[in-house]
Amino acid sequence: MSDCHDGCNGSRREFLSGTLKLAGGAVVTVIGASALASSSSGPTSAPIPGGGEYDWNEHLWAYLVDTTKCIGCGSCARACKAENAVPDGFFRTWIERYAVGTDDSHVDSPNGGMDGFPPVQVGFVANKSFFVPKICNHCRATPCTQVCPVGASYRTKDGAVLVDADSCIGCGYCVQACPYGSRFIHPATHTASKCTWCYHRITKGLKPACVTVCPTQARQFGDLKKDGDPVRAVVEHDRVQILQGHLLTEPQCYYTHLDKEVR
Amino acid sequence: MEHGKHVFRIVILVAVILVVVILGRGLLIPKTYGLYGRYRAANVAEQMNARPVLHAGAAACAECHSELAAKRTAGGHRNVSCEICHAPLGAHVLADGSVVKPPIDRSFTLCARCHRKMAARPARFPQVDLDQHVNGPVEGKVCLQCHDPHSPKP
Repeated sequence: MSDCHDGCNGSRREFLSGTLKLAGGAVVTVIGASALASSSSGPTSAPIPGGGEYDWNEHLWAYLVDTTKCIGCGSCARACKAENAVPDGFFRTWIERYAVGTDDSHVDSPNGGMDGFPPVQVGFVANKSFFVPKICNHCRATPCTQVCPVGASYRTKDGAVLVDADSCIGCGYCVQACPYGSRFIHPATHTASKCTWCYHRITKGLKPACVTVCPTQARQFGDLKKDGDPVRAVVEHDRVQILQGHLLTEPQCYYTHLDKEVR
Repeated sequence: MEHGKHVFRIVILVAVILVVVILGRGLLIPKTYGLYGRYRAANVAEQMNARPVLHAGAAACAECHSELAAKRTAGGHRNVSCEICHAPLGAHVLADGSVVKPPIDRSFTLCARCHRKMAARPARFPQVDLDQHVNGPVEGKVCLQCHDPHSPKP
């Protein structure tokens, strides 16, 4: 008994650890396979469960901003706030005012541009000045959904990046991950919140609230899967720009006449 | 078969772990999760019905206010949505059909938001140099005393 004590104990330990590893491996394999099966075998052509007649496979939404048309009235930001009950101090869309000189530039967005813009004094000679409306870019390869640890952030088949507030744990990773500053943690629900392109409107055939009220058509919204769509025509045939293209996020919010100073 | 007991214990343990994991998964993972991707598919429909449509657009306003709508369409403010100055239609005609008088903003700030002269605005857009408008500074004056917002003239 005493001479085989060490050996016996050793082999038992090996046996136990080996068995447990094997069992663990089996469990992981079983779970992995079932998870994979459930995510890949889902219907791909069926409309949204519980979503009525709207078929998200027939649309691919895109946003288009012509910065030369923006007058900085802030009607879009006000409409967004009213339409989506966005809490004070937070913005799903906002307007930035740029003043650009030879060596210097100045950007401001007082209250997101909601109340318009007061006259501004910059400490340099500004050669040009302009407004740039900003909004969630609804990126095709978006970093915000990649970092979500609970699957609360996702991109729909029709191209909108949404947040499932019921699943969101409010960790704020997505807020950090978004290079455009489009997300915030809602002060009441403590979950991530952002522009939805007014998903409750666009799925009913309406435009987002900001586009509906824009008096100069600086903001446009369209469907890249619809023939004859004005936004699709611009995106397909004109020279369009995106914000921070070097990050390879593939924004679905396109700009025309964007200045080099705009990020 | 002195060692059979050990194998039996391990098998029981593994079986228990398996059952706990499968039950836990069933309880913790939402029903529609993974249907289309790594998210709860039911949330898409929830987002579609998340809130009522407030901004209905100028055409909806014209259904009742055809005269003013026609005047607006013929004038310089033809592209200015009614809801910019009058608040969203959803706050005027409520979901139950009742009508609430909308706020009418006659303030200077409303007009100045668009028309105060500013370097950042497109040069072709009509802007007012408030210091040199008609008879001197007009900052804070009521624009609507002279200008008709539904069909403004310079």
